[in-house]
Parts: sequence; C-alpha cells; structure tokens
Amino acid sequence: MSTKAKASKRIPRVGQGVARLDADEKVRGLAEYADDLQVPDAWYGYIVRSPVSHGRLRALTLDPDYDWSRIVVVTPDDIPGENIVDMMGRDMPFIAHDEIQYRGEPIALVAAPTRKQAREAAAHVRADIEELPPLLTLGEMIDRYKRDPSELHELCAQTIRKGDAERALEEAELVVEGEYRAGHQEQLYIEPQGMVAVPEKDGSVFIHGSMQCPYFINPELCVTLDLPPEKIRVKQSAVGGAFGGKEEFPTLLAGYCALLALKAKRPVKIIYDRHQDILYSTKRHPVWSRYRTGLDKDGTIRALCVEYVLDGGAYTTLSPVVMYRGILHAAMGYRCDHVWVDGYVFRTNTFPSGAFRGFGAPQAVWGLESHVDDLAKACGMTPHEFRLRNALREGDVTPTGGVLRHSVGSPAVLTQTVERSGFVEKLSRCSHGRVSDGKWYGIGMSFFAHGAGFTGDGEARFKAKVALDLEPGEDGWPVVLVRASSTEMGQGTFTILPQVAADGLCIDLNRVRNPYPDTKYVPNSGPTVASRTAMVVGSTVYGAAQKMKKQLEEYVTREFTGGQAVQLVDGQFLTADEKVAMTFEEAATHHFQHRGPLRVYDQFRLPDYLQWDQKNFVGDAYPSYSWGCNVAEVEVDPRTLEVNVLKVTGVYDIGKVLNPVLAKGQLEGGLVQALGYAVMEKIEIKDGLFDASRMQTYVIPTTLDIPEFDLDFVEFPYEFAVPGAKGVGEIPMNGLGPAIANAVEQATGVRMRELPITPETLFAAMTRGASGPLLRTGTA
Amino acid sequence: MNITVKLNGIAQTIAVEPSDLLIDVIRDRLGVKSPKYGCGKGDCGACTVLLDGDVVRSCLVLAVEADGREITTVEALSMEGPNDVQRELIRNNAFQCGFCAPGVTLAAEELLRRNADPTEEEIREAVAGNLCRCTGYQQIVEAVRTAARSRRKKAGRKRRPRSGRKGVKS
Repeated sequence: MSTKAKASKRIPRVGQGVARLDADEKVRGLAEYADDLQVPDAWYGYIVRSPVSHGRLRALTLDPDYDWSRIVVVTPDDIPGENIVDMMGRDMPFIAHDEIQYRGEPIALVAAPTRKQAREAAAHVRADIEELPPLLTLGEMIDRYKRDPSELHELCAQTIRKGDAERALEEAELVVEGEYRAGHQEQLYIEPQGMVAVPEKDGSVFIHGSMQCPYFINPELCVTLDLPPEKIRVKQSAVGGAFGGKEEFPTLLAGYCALLALKAKRPVKIIYDRHQDILYSTKRHPVWSRYRTGLDKDGTIRALCVEYVLDGGAYTTLSPVVMYRGILHAAMGYRCDHVWVDGYVFRTNTFPSGAFRGFGAPQAVWGLESHVDDLAKACGMTPHEFRLRNALREGDVTPTGGVLRHSVGSPAVLTQTVERSGFVEKLSRCSHGRVSDGKWYGIGMSFFAHGAGFTGDGEARFKAKVALDLEPGEDGWPVVLVRASSTEMGQGTFTILPQVAADGLCIDLNRVRNPYPDTKYVPNSGPTVASRTAMVVGSTVYGAAQKMKKQLEEYVTREFTGGQAVQLVDGQFLTADEKVAMTFEEAATHHFQHRGPLRVYDQFRLPDYLQWDQKNFVGDAYPSYSWGCNVAEVEVDPRTLEVNVLKVTGVYDIGKVLNPVLAKGQLEGGLVQALGYAVMEKIEIKDGLFDASRMQTYVIPTTLDIPEFDLDFVEFPYEFAVPGAKGVGEIPMNGLGPAIANAVEQATGVRMRELPITPETLFAAMTRGASGPLLRTGTA
Repeated sequence: MNITVKLNGIAQTIAVEPSDLLIDVIRDRLGVKSPKYGCGKGDCGACTVLLDGDVVRSCLVLAVEADGREITTVEALSMEGPNDVQRELIRNNAFQCGFCAPGVTLAAEELLRRNADPTEEEIREAVAGNLCRCTGYQQIVEAVRTAARSRRKKAGRKRRPRSGRKGVKS
C-alpha cells in the first residue's frame, strides 16, 4: 500500500483559470432553464393587471358571459396567509385589494391549461377603479423635492454625518456644485423570468425556477401561504442571466405560481414573454444627486455634501439597502474630514425599482466621479493628479469613520491604470470641441471602490452557513458536493466554489461537484448578491473543506496508520516520511462502507474589531472593499454627435483572484453593461408604463458596439476570508459611466449631467445657453 | 395539417396548426430544447436553428414553412461531446449563463461552413444578431477565430490572401 508520493502539481488550485464546470451542458443545450423543465399536467399562470397608475379598486368582477369552467382565478380572498410581500417596508400586497400604486399592479391571478387560454381569461376579469392622480417620473419627483419634499411619499431615508460639513463648506476657499441624473436600466437577462410551483400530496409546495436567492422565496412564502418553512422547498433551475433582476422579483413570481397551484391542485408555471418581462419586472433605481464640495486651492477636499435621491417606484421592496449602498459609495474613495450625505427614496406610481448589479453604487459613483473632474478643474489640476492627491490609502478613514486597515488596492489601481492607458500623454491630445482629424477625441477616468459583502454588520449578523457532503457519486467514485445556497447565473459560482473546496481539501477538482441549490439539501448561505459569493461563501466553503480534510486525516490515522499522523496532499494521504498511506478515493470509500457519507458544516466569521452603528451609519460599513480605476477613450462625431467608445483600460483589486479567466469575464461583461448604461440603454415612463418592451426598442450592446478592453488585476487579498477574494461581480458596473462622461467633456468641452449620453442629449447640452461651447460642424 | 421535417437527421411527421411557430413545435412537440425563447421577435437570436443549413430565428418561422426541410440544432453538432466550435467557446469563456450559447454556436457554425477564413469583422457581423448580456463578446469573436484556424489546419487549407482588412464596423 505504501509507495513514495509522486511530486504532483495537477491539482487545480485557486488562482487558476480552469474552464467553467457547467460549460458542457450549457454549450450542448442540455442545461434545463425554467421553461425547459418537464412538468406534467402543468397549467399556465397569467397576471391580471391594473390598467391605471394610481387608484382605488372598488370591485373586481368576472365576465358572466365567459366560460370559467376550466379556469382558476385567485383573488386576495384566496390567500391563506397575509396578503403582503414580506420584504422591507412590508407595504406591497401580493395582489392589490384596495389602493393601486402602479400601472400593471396585479389585481388577480388566473391559470388555464394553455398560455393562450390564460391570457384570454385574464382579459375577461373586469376591474372597477376610481382613478387618483399619479406621480410618474424622476423629473416630476425632483421638481417636488426641490420645491417641498413633504409633497412626496418617502419610502426611506438615511444620513451620514462626519464632522461639520456646513461649516467646513463656508470656510473652504472654493465651492463646487453639481447635479447628476440617470434613468432606469433594465437587466435584460436573455432568459425571461420563469417559475413553476408544484403542490405536493403532503400539503407542501415545490418551487423550481429561475432565481438568484432560494432563501428569499422560502421565508416569504411562509408568510403568504401560511406554511412552515419545511413545507416550502425551493430549487434553482439553470438561470439564463440575472444581474439582480432575479434577486427579489422571483419571490413574487413564486408566490403567484404557488397561490394558483394550491387552488388549482396542480402544477402551475409562469414564463414571462419579453414584453411582460420588460414592462413588469424591476429596473435599476433612477437617481438624482447633488454635490456641494468645499476645496482649498491646493486641491485639498475640505467638505463633501451630498444629496442622493432614488426613485423607488411604487413600493419599498429592497430600496433601503440599495440607498444605503448608494450613500456609502457617494462620497467614498477620497480623504475628507467633513462629509454629510442625505439619502432618500421616494415613491412614484411606477413598477417598483429593484436590484441591479452594483445596487445603488453605480448611481452614486456616476455623480461623484463626474463631480471629481469638476473639482480637479476648479483647482487647476489634472483629473489624475487630483485623484492621486486625495485618494484614500491604507490606514485612512472612510466617510462613516471606518478605518481601511488592510488589503487596500488604492492608490495602486489608480497609478497602474494611469500608466497603462498612457493617460497623461493622451490627455494633452483631447479636442475640447475643436475639430481635429474629423472627429473629437477625449479621454476620461474614474476611480472607485465597492464594498464587499452585505452592507454594515449584515454578514456578521447573518453568519452564512455552508455544508460539504462526501458521498458516492454516480460513477461509484466518491464526490464532494458543495452545499451552499449560492446560485450559478453565469458568473461562475459552480466553478469557483468547487475550486475553493478542492483547494481546501487538497484533492482533484474533478472529485468536486456543485449541484443546483435546493433548500431541501443546502443550508442558508445567503442570497447570491452583493459581490459576496467569492468572499463570504467562498471562504466558508474553504473552512468546511479544511474541516473535512482534518476529519479524513484523523480517520486514516485512526483506522490505517496505527496512530501515525497523515496529511492529505494532492489527493493522497501522506505520512510524515512522505509515504503514501492511501488515496483520497480509498479512504472515502472505506468511510462510506463503515461510517456512511460525511457531512461537515462551517459558518462565516468576521474579525471582532469590526463595528457598525446601523442607526447613525458610523463604523465599518463593509468588512473590506474592492477597488478599481477606469480610463475611457472616446471619439465624438461632430456631425451626428454619436459617442464611440474606443478603448477602456481598467485595473482592479478584487482581492485574491480565484479564477482569472472567469474574473476577467465578469469585468468585460460588467463593463459592457456599464457601456450600455452610459451611452445606449434608455427607457422612460410613458403613460405610467416603460416606453420600450422589446429588444429592438431597449437596445443593448452587440458585437458591433464593443470597445477594445485592456484590463488587469492587482491583488490585495482579504486575509480574514481565506483564500482572500473580495468580490468582482458588481464593481465593473460602477465606474465606466462617469469615465465616459469625463472623456466626452474632454472631447466636446461639454459636461454631461445625465445618463445615458445620446446624440440627442449631447445636442441639447451643446446648444443650451451660452455656457456650453457652440456646436461646430462642417469644418472637418 | 401534417408537415414532415428532418430534425437533426431524423425525419418526423407531425400535425401542426397553420399559426404554430417553429420554435414551439421544436421545443414543445418534438422535445428538442436547445433553441431558447428570448424575445419572440427575432431580436436576440437565442432561438437560432439551421434550416437547410441557413441560420434562421425559429420564433419568426412558421412550422409549415419548415415542411420538407432539414432542421439542425446544437444537439446534432455535439452528439459525441462538444464540437470544435463549442470547445473553443468553452476554452475562451465565451458564454456565462449559457442561454445564448446554442444560438451563438449555430451562427458560428454556419459562418465557418460558408467562410473558412473569416475576418474579425465578418465574425462580428455573423454573431451580431445573437445578443449576450453576460460576456463582452470579445471572447466569442476569439473563439470563432480560433475554431476557424483549427478547422482550416485540419482541412489542410491555406489562409486566403488578405486585402482590405479594415471591413465594416457598425
């Protein structure tokens, strides 16, 4: 049995760019997305929606001339539990029963044997609604906010107070002000929302579908269906993209399906078509922000005063946490002793705004990083000089008084991006609205952080749990199953978590699997959000893997080596003199035969010194931060005012890079979404509804719109969450908008204060008043 | 009415309504699930199939139009594991959520069948109708380029002489 161990380096360790483990089934079309699930005898659900934006529902009647015999209708009277969506604020009914707050709000649900019949039946449900005046747009909302905020319905508010910003503002040598806006953004995952609910014989419900957060659905449905948690099983199907769009919204879809399924006593599925999906699902919160900043002429920032206002849509949903992340990033990144931030979310009578990659931070960084270019200009400094002078560094204090103790990728990302992009030299070539070579050229930058994991003490209180199961696999060989509620939606969870587990156990990656999360088997490791999977869940998986390794080593020591200690190295148990006692597979198989399968748990922990005061927003707002810097180069056509983004350079500190190939995929994909946010994706409210409902009217980047990317990482691992990742999912969304706007200013001489920057908005800005430079055309 | 199609090499006769869409017949009646519904308007390319070897959006084709014709989906390309295009898509991390991957695969396959040595611009054009919200597309272009190269190498063909490399861009 004992042979000398071969020196082996075949274990795919953390840090290697292994191909995604779910690639084969996806590329061959075998992965089962929600609409691919085989559900015998399923009926189709459809939602009856309010035709008005604001009103009072007086009565709901079924068309007496319609044949309802093969149709199931659910109204609030059919809800076994509370008619409330158990999210923040608890202000949203599952099905409206009195006041209607947005056009499209569900007023009844129907199910029928076919989609067509369900849609037809829905049209025969009649609502008698007394209309009330609605508030529909960010523009109207901000007008009222400036006039008198008490005219608005406040969904939530929060302040940050550090020092005395008003006084510091008065004492500053210069004061710079600016306002910034951005509209809705649609996640536009290519797979539309889809869910199935199956009523089981024992009175339980099985929910299966496209989702980010199985453990959001479970507790919510307990409230709505009045069932105990063990009677609600939730499983993720393959997910065709999510980006936050499948964070909280699938909870509603699961509820609609479950209510219909329980009444129909058969499975019910709802698969949105694209039209429904765009009109009736959450979007990124529209934002308006106002900065007033006090400076000394030497470039020192004396005071930062920020108002950060979000359009929450009709109900609270997750808006408080989106706004919290927003205000925590609205003044983040620079040294300043006096910071005041006021955050608000107000109601408009539109579809509730929701989670979208970045979660309030891109909206904040958009304002801040546009404003910082104005600050630099005001004190006669270049954009990079000003940022470098003021950027937070290790040991510095954040706007909430948290100390950046370690793993601080600033200013490294800044200096490296400036150097890599040739920023200094290229800055001198910018057109400033003067034609050179037919097109206007501009270069701009942005510098930003992204808080890793839940905001505040969220992670410390939540204590994410994961399990690892060692059991016989389908081929008879032992496999380690990652049991976490973290979902795979393309970002690579099912690859990086097995990599981490294999690393922690020191076994071959092909012995590790990550099945789709199913609340029947997985403990609650939290939602797949907030760039937390790699850092929080990853390090907990690592902890569990190390525990399992230790238990197996002890098992082999006890059962086989007569007490001589062994170590599991590259899939083999080695004695102190480097002899192979047995392989991982042999030991695991022996364990199955004599002790059965092995399960270990672990729980996420953070260092005790992290302190957070949730009421006053004082302390360590996040355990750690990822850092990034973007440089965008643009070309603007003076005739059409089309902005063509030529090249994007970026350097990011995301801590330890678990898989460089997948991480780079996150950067590029996120940057392309940010590109859409910056210059392409426009969706507005018309008659209470979104004015685009298909992919030809809501336009996202295609292969023909992509700039050249030059991206790199600089690693500052987070040592308290081995293997040290900090999070990459959201940070690529944060900074490209302002970098492009700053480049557009260098190209045209005009400061754009609204996203997206389109030829129309650029034209309007260039012709507005005498302050902007005149539009020069025809001189090329 | 009855139609007869050859789906992935197997002839099948099936009764359809005149208004039935090809995507629904392939997915719901013939049980082949790789063409995905993404938009229903021909905008996204997730439902791409090859009809007599040409790329079509199966959500825009009536089932009756496919009568007597040959339909190919990715299942046919990867009977014995991913084909060369698919392997390159995997190696380049050219898809993430995977929902667009079957459509991208078929668009690339069709391109390489009619053009063994496409320029970068030709590759971009060929997959421009396949929306991907996860990647930055560059990996897709890279994968198709490397697949083309390895296919040419295998076929023993030479690179065609290149002139006017700057092609159309948007």
